[in-house]
Amino acid sequence: MTTPDPAINTTNAATATATTAVADRPANRLSAHGLGLRYGNRTVVDGLDLDLPGNAVTAIVGPNACGKSTLLRGLVRLLDPAAGTVTLDGSDIHRMPARALARRMGLLPQQPVTPEAVTVEALVRLGRFPHQRMLTPWSKADQAAVEEALARTGMTGLRDQQVDRLSGGQRQRAWIALALAQDTDLLLLDEPTTFLDLRHQIDVLDLVDDLHAEAGRTVVMVLHDLGQAARYADHLVVLQDGRLAAAGAPGEILTAELVERVFQVPCQVVPDPETGTPLVVPKARSRRAAGRG
Amino acid sequence: MSAPALERAAAAGRTGTSVARRRARTAAWSVTVAALLVLLTGVALGTGQVEMTAWQALRALAGLGDSGDVLVVQEFRAPRVVSALIAGAGLAVAGSMLQRLFRNPLASPDTIGVTGGASFGAVLMLATGASQELIPLAALGGGLLAALLLGGFAWRSRMAVTRLVLVGLAVQQGLAAAVNLMIVRFPAELASSAMQWTTGSLYGRNWTEVWIGGTAVAAGAAAVVLCQRRVAVLDLGDDSAGGLGLNPRRDRVLLLLLTIALASLAAALTGPVAFVALAVPHLVRMLAGPPTLGTLGLTALTGALLLLASDLLVLHVIPVHGLPVGAVTATLGAPWLLVLMIRQGRLPQRSS
Repeated sequence: MTTPDPAINTTNAATATATTAVADRPANRLSAHGLGLRYGNRTVVDGLDLDLPGNAVTAIVGPNACGKSTLLRGLVRLLDPAAGTVTLDGSDIHRMPARALARRMGLLPQQPVTPEAVTVEALVRLGRFPHQRMLTPWSKADQAAVEEALARTGMTGLRDQQVDRLSGGQRQRAWIALALAQDTDLLLLDEPTTFLDLRHQIDVLDLVDDLHAEAGRTVVMVLHDLGQAARYADHLVVLQDGRLAAAGAPGEILTAELVERVFQVPCQVVPDPETGTPLVVPKARSRRAAGRG
Repeated sequence: MSAPALERAAAAGRTGTSVARRRARTAAWSVTVAALLVLLTGVALGTGQVEMTAWQALRALAGLGDSGDVLVVQEFRAPRVVSALIAGAGLAVAGSMLQRLFRNPLASPDTIGVTGGASFGAVLMLATGASQELIPLAALGGGLLAALLLGGFAWRSRMAVTRLVLVGLAVQQGLAAAVNLMIVRFPAELASSAMQWTTGSLYGRNWTEVWIGGTAVAAGAAAVVLCQRRVAVLDLGDDSAGGLGLNPRRDRVLLLLLTIALASLAAALTGPVAFVALAVPHLVRMLAGPPTLGTLGLTALTGALLLLASDLLVLHVIPVHGLPVGAVTATLGAPWLLVLMIRQGRLPQRSS
């Protein structure tokens, strides 16, 4: 794991207390062992061995249709494995009761369905579902979790707004708030920045960073932008055709050779002028042609 | 609800947020519909060969006033009125649930095979010449048979449950064809009583039937209320619901079975009254917004009101003797369905 960059990770009193508070939390290590995932007869992920560090931010990247989202669905049990297992701190997630698992892992799907005319608060309250039983009334702990989720995502002032009338960035924050109210150690996000403009992409990624640094969440997210992945992730998983191409700290594994091999794009990898993390710069068209010829 | 509560709700509606406004609207409409329901119940109990005012009729229902009135109301009129109320409420709640679970505004017990199944069961029972009391039970059995067919398809085909509406339509048509075949083969008098049942009729209910049917519908409705959190989570789509600890496929099918049981029990009481289950959820959506736990009560009240009003039309306004109430609801419902289909382009579409 790389040391988080000071420019992003502001150390303040809140961070310090949060870190001590999470010291006795479980390790939150999500692992795949010989994992195979299929849609019908089509094998998407095959024989994948993976070990995601706990209490860190992991980004899963790869070309389109390489199985990134499928892998994420397998890791949260939305897909049953055709082979192998997924374990959380050593226990097979397919042997855990569904609600118990939902108290450990929260998910933001790629295309969640916003119920008609639902308000932000009503949406976020649904995140408490795994903590409730059929007849238990809404508790103070439930309300506290909802308030915290709203505050952390900056949605407190919009709590009574209808989600389907919000902007794309606000809507995404509302959905992240739902996952936060679920109060899980692990948070899995499937392409949380797709469909957002640059400012809202950065908003969401900064929020993810805060969730890790201040709230001690383990985050696993699927991302498209390699530069953003390198900036915000401690650990990078690169997939190609459903297999692992590379995994490790972005600064160590994200090389020009890897990007060219996986994405078939000749490029340079230079240090990000802002953060020093690897930045992928595709070669100009004329030089690409020359390189191939 | 009391008058101050209503005022409070109205005040919140003027000044507050959209949530408060929606709650206030729901509360205000619930009170209005409940008041209309009491009034109409009085009128229904008071109208007939022995005329009395709505107030006298309601008193008679409570056992007060003229003993002749009490007899007429309690023994002859009340069972029919009460079964209209119970069945209307049950059908409306079931319809609202079906539309949510299928994510399809055209889903209703009429379009997914449940009422066809109920008719099938009832007519089959008529054919065996069994006693009248067994008919509701047979209707329930038929409705559940349709549910099992549907559930079986859901399980086997691995088709998205939300697309099962089409399978339901096939089940409905198949069972309706079977019923028609039986009616054609029946001797004339049996055929006419079978016809009566299959279009929905409140004729000749007695207290035993009302108690059994009412208890069953109440139990089904209570179960539906208890499952509202689950339904709300399923509204988020299968991925989110899975992430929150549900098994979306299994839970959706189980909730559908529960809803179908509720619809069959209600249909068992009246026969398959068309369009109440389809129309009421849309009416409530127009009055108070999308379905939530809060609008469920209004849905039940509106369903009861609509069925009772239709029955009153049948009994006292339309000069055709022995017209089944289902004929009225269907006549009112057909244009409604057309309006709905035309409006569909403007309804919010939700992908599954």
